[in-house]
Amino acid sequence: MRNMHRILLKIGPASFRIVSAWREPLDQLEALYAKYPAPADGIVDFTVRLEAGRPWRRYIRPSVHISGDFWLPDAAPLPLAQGLLAAEMGMNLQMALGWRRHLLLHASSVEKNGKAMVMTGLSGSGKSTLSAMLAEKGWRFMGDEFALLDLTSGSLVPFPRLISLKNQAIAAMEELVPNDRFGPEMKGTPKGDIRHLVPPKAAIDRMGDPARPALLLFPRFGHDPELRPMGQAEIFIRLTQASTNYVALGEAGFRALTGFVDQVPARAMDYQSIEQAEELIESLWSQLP
Amino acid sequence: MIGDAHVLVRALRDPASVGMLENSQWPELISIARAESLIGSLAHRLADVRVPDKVRAVLQDAIEAHDLARRQALWEADCARRALANYPGKTVLMKGTAYVAANLSAGVGRSIGDLDIMVARDDLPVVESALLDAGWEWVKPDPYDDRYYREHMHELPPLIHRERDRMIDVHHTILPLTARPTPDADAILDSAVEQDSGLHVMAPADMLLHSIAHMFADGDLAGGLRNLWDINLLVRQFAEADEGFWTELEERAKIHDLVPEMERALRLAARLYHTPVHKYRSGKARFVDYLYVRRLLARDGYGRETRKAIRLAFYIRSHWLRMPPLMLARHLWTKWRKGGKPTK
Amino acid sequence: MTQKYRAAPKDDLIWHELDSMTLLFHRPSGITHMLADPAPAILEVMADAALSASEIVARLEAGFDFESGGDTGNIVDARLAELADLGLVARVLD
Repeated sequence: MRNMHRILLKIGPASFRIVSAWREPLDQLEALYAKYPAPADGIVDFTVRLEAGRPWRRYIRPSVHISGDFWLPDAAPLPLAQGLLAAEMGMNLQMALGWRRHLLLHASSVEKNGKAMVMTGLSGSGKSTLSAMLAEKGWRFMGDEFALLDLTSGSLVPFPRLISLKNQAIAAMEELVPNDRFGPEMKGTPKGDIRHLVPPKAAIDRMGDPARPALLLFPRFGHDPELRPMGQAEIFIRLTQASTNYVALGEAGFRALTGFVDQVPARAMDYQSIEQAEELIESLWSQLP
Repeated sequence: MIGDAHVLVRALRDPASVGMLENSQWPELISIARAESLIGSLAHRLADVRVPDKVRAVLQDAIEAHDLARRQALWEADCARRALANYPGKTVLMKGTAYVAANLSAGVGRSIGDLDIMVARDDLPVVESALLDAGWEWVKPDPYDDRYYREHMHELPPLIHRERDRMIDVHHTILPLTARPTPDADAILDSAVEQDSGLHVMAPADMLLHSIAHMFADGDLAGGLRNLWDINLLVRQFAEADEGFWTELEERAKIHDLVPEMERALRLAARLYHTPVHKYRSGKARFVDYLYVRRLLARDGYGRETRKAIRLAFYIRSHWLRMPPLMLARHLWTKWRKGGKPTK
Repeated sequence: MTQKYRAAPKDDLIWHELDSMTLLFHRPSGITHMLADPAPAILEVMADAALSASEIVARLEAGFDFESGGDTGNIVDARLAELADLGLVARVLD
């Protein structure tokens, strides 16, 4: 039990205990999550562990093994310089494998006037960047990684963790956002260059406020701008593939997802620039009931 | 010194004891219970005890997750039943699936992974081909592993269903063929009990002895606390239902060559979970019991394994039990040459 | 002896219509099936009776828009085999 550093974090409805063999990643987390409320009573949903794979690896070319209450046997370690990323991945892993209180969609989401837009797609679709961008332009940021769907009411619950910016998105956001909201830039991670961004204050202050899902988008970057309707069967299949806990929730997951597909209009959106995407989104948004 | 996992053992044994936990100790208990695959059992044990709301939410998640696991395990068993509908021999469910199929308290909240079934050794080819016909496939088509399994293990190489993505292990006895104790597989099949579904489960004494054999001989005592919890619940339920159980248990332990293992398991269960055991069936306490207890409790409040030395000692021991030394060397050598690491 | 079939109990099934397909959630397995026509119709006409393939064909032709004498029989046989593999209908001997 000795020799481990720890902090507690609360993001939306989920709380975490992060324990680490090194202080640095936790100092970084603490700075970036400074405005988030701490879990007051010390009781958390999940523990994430950042450990040295071998004892000497704590000091010599330190490498961080990610594990915790829920873990994957073959998760590759990261260098200590990427310890912040390791902690974020560890929290994602707990949510993906262990969270049961909402249907989890691998999607970003933003809100305006009580209505939420959910964006899902493969990595590279730009869903994370779009949510970060829109969050600086009048939308409330709800999350860039997981959209949490309430199992009975069908409303969308915020999970506004740090925004994980990749590659070109880093420079694009650096133009818009003051420097004090950024974490350290991590070059050459398994996912490319990564830099974390603290969501706008409103996103953190209102992380307990749900919203009604009003639009589902499947963005795809790099094609001529176009909006296309999609069939319900295709939407349903793609959402089951985008959900980490659809199967684990059984009947509750089925009811939540079919309800979502019935009620939320969906479009596929191709785009080549953020400006195009914003135009397409505004045109759709203005037509919503 | 008592390991941190003691907090879990105490909570399982005496649910009211959690009333004394500080808030900061709850995440420790939860992490340990998750690491030992006992979170579902713990959640059910604490159902009627006052706990903080946030703990209740975590426990409720565990109850629901294990409800689903139970349902899926029964469905997998039913899939196997349908695949083997034309097989005239007995199909005996094993471990967790058997506990839930027979509605035993050991099945409540228990985590269940693969489906384990046992059939007569001579029938393996028939059963194998029926499963292959019904959509199961070999997990790893590696001729060396395949031969290794068929010659030395107590089961077919694992099969996985191509659509449902679930594994099945087909056993023909309860310990590897190379292990020293040689249980009587025919006796187990003969006295297996038929369920309404047409599937079978082992008779009570055999079921308990299988759980015991599994704990000591089939692994490095990893998951030992969970195994011992199964043993505790099986003993309590069987002994209560049938006063002849202790006599039956002794006879079956002799038949299966598992008397020392049975005695040790009963001593450990009595010690950790206060299982009421028959004093003539649990033998005399040994020094090694102390090592076993230390090994079983070796987990810290972050859910990490502690006492690496003791763990390693048990790992070597468990491999030794399963395979005679020369065979072990050959096995490791083949693995190394292929560039892989030795696997358990 | 005729090969008969019986659909999974109604209480085990939750139906949901999408625009082009029908979803079927099967409670005992926790599996979501996506069914194309005429599989939902087959399960519907079977209700909770044990029926032979030809009885099912007759019910389909009576209640749905199936042409008599077409290859309904072959279609039903093929779908029944698939549904049986999925555990959504059971083969019973009469």
